Amino acid sequence: MPGSRSMRLVECALRCYPRRWRSRHGDEAAEIACLLIGNGTPARSVAWSYLMGAVRTRLVIGPRRRLGAAAAALVLVAGSVGVPLALLSASAPANAASVAHSRAASPRPAHPRHGGSRPDEPRHGSGRGALDRCDRHDGC
Amino acid sequence: MTARERGDTGGQDVLRRAGDASVLILTSLADGSKHGYALIQDIKGFAGLQLGPGTLYGALDRLERMGLIEALPAEDRRQPYRITAAGVVALRAHLDSIERVSSVGRLRLGLEGI
Repeated sequence: MPGSRSMRLVECALRCYPRRWRSRHGDEAAEIACLLIGNGTPARSVAWSYLMGAVRTRLVIGPRRRLGAAAAALVLVAGSVGVPLALLSASAPANAASVAHSRAASPRPAHPRHGGSRPDEPRHGSGRGALDRCDRHDGC
Repeated sequence: MTARERGDTGGQDVLRRAGDASVLILTSLADGSKHGYALIQDIKGFAGLQLGPGTLYGALDRLERMGLIEALPAEDRRQPYRITAAGVVALRAHLDSIERVSSVGRLRLGLEGI
């Protein structure tokens, strides 16, 4: 008969199973543990096996709970994506205002060095481009 | 209970993903009903490995959910199980599948006929 310390270890592991499982298999599981430990299987090995079994049993999701779990996962994903998006959209008008302010403070040069449009192309809004165009045409 | 849980998949190998413990348990139950400790001892005898009791109960629960085994009335504290008709079909399909793989492996290793 295994020692009380060994059995206490196994009982601790068995307590990790759901109550429903224990009411069905608990007595037999304890008996199997006694027999295995009596045959020379280390108590730690038996307890570890039961502990891992308890974790797996608790992780198994029944078919009725799958829909709820899927809905919960969807809410979690939507929340994790939606909150940063909401924060970004809340800060977007402030960013836009600061960009507009900086553009007004330093107007765009008429003849950019790299690429860009030709100086004689019509430009939108006021600026040197618009003034150049008006200088060339009599009607303006 | 769904068709998949009953193991009713039209002759497909439903045990492919069920794990080795499930196959060993079904093989052990193929010659008659057994309870947990008897299953462990029998599997140790024919496969040379000792199933952990946690692994055993996990596999028993899974096989019962799939409808491949069923629990018989408890004897004292021991709960015997027996293989169902669906379990026999599933085990046969799995053994056929293993045999095909085994014969190809043997052929490619040049072990055929030895």
